[in-house]
Amino acid sequence: MAQQNNFSSATNRKELFIWLYKKAFPAVAKYISKKGGNFHEAKDIFQDALIVYYEKLVNGSINLNSDEQSYLMGISKHLWSKRFKENIKYAPFNIGEDVFIEQDNLTPSSDKLLYYLETTGQKCMDILRAFYYDNWPVTKIAEIFGYSGVRSATVQKYKCMEKIRETIKERSLAYEDFIE
Amino acid sequence: MRTSLNEIKLIDEHIFNNGAPADAALFDAMLVLDPGLAEQVLWQKKAHAIIIQYGRKQLKTEIASVHERLFDTPEYLTFRQRILNLFK
Repeated sequence: MAQQNNFSSATNRKELFIWLYKKAFPAVAKYISKKGGNFHEAKDIFQDALIVYYEKLVNGSINLNSDEQSYLMGISKHLWSKRFKENIKYAPFNIGEDVFIEQDNLTPSSDKLLYYLETTGQKCMDILRAFYYDNWPVTKIAEIFGYSGVRSATVQKYKCMEKIRETIKERSLAYEDFIE
Repeated sequence: MRTSLNEIKLIDEHIFNNGAPADAALFDAMLVLDPGLAEQVLWQKKAHAIIIQYGRKQLKTEIASVHERLFDTPEYLTFRQRILNLFK
């Protein structure tokens, strides 16, 4: 699942996004403008396209320097078309299973649960994000989070998963629609 | 690694289908025999979904700060004007 990637810090990601903004946003903004959209709509569409792009990049579906502008334009067109067809208030992070990685029955209560987990277990959430969302190499995770080596970082990953899983189980009794 | 953590590792391998074939076969048999294990798989999938949700939320914040830098600081004035002119 994991691959080596060069975005193993927020700074590197920030540089990547600035580069992608400069490279692809003008064309996307021009397209949205021609379609009658405004600046804020162009911004929303492009930012969601960046998230899709990032996820594809870190899970190895695409490579950097493989025509980012065309790729981001393609995603943006898809998102705009979907938004236009559905004619609904735009809802980031819920814009099409064919674009975003499938989510497992998330409900409004998942927001409450996430808020709870952020406030009670931020460090674990950050470690788990690094492993499962960003796909950082375990050596990098050990270094950044201050573990003595790969083994202790890996053990911590599973300890955190256990903690988060048990918290979700307990809290789901309070947030009933999460367990539907 | 203690047993409960090893179980989490095996569940991850089951979810991502990246375990050794022999371990995967054994895990499938355990799933049939232990309904509690199937339930743990379900909760762990929910944990993964929440972690993805968290990752996207954090990433969205990072991207928003990049946008602010590009559109609210003098450093990128030319770029900003080029974009804003498209919407006049």
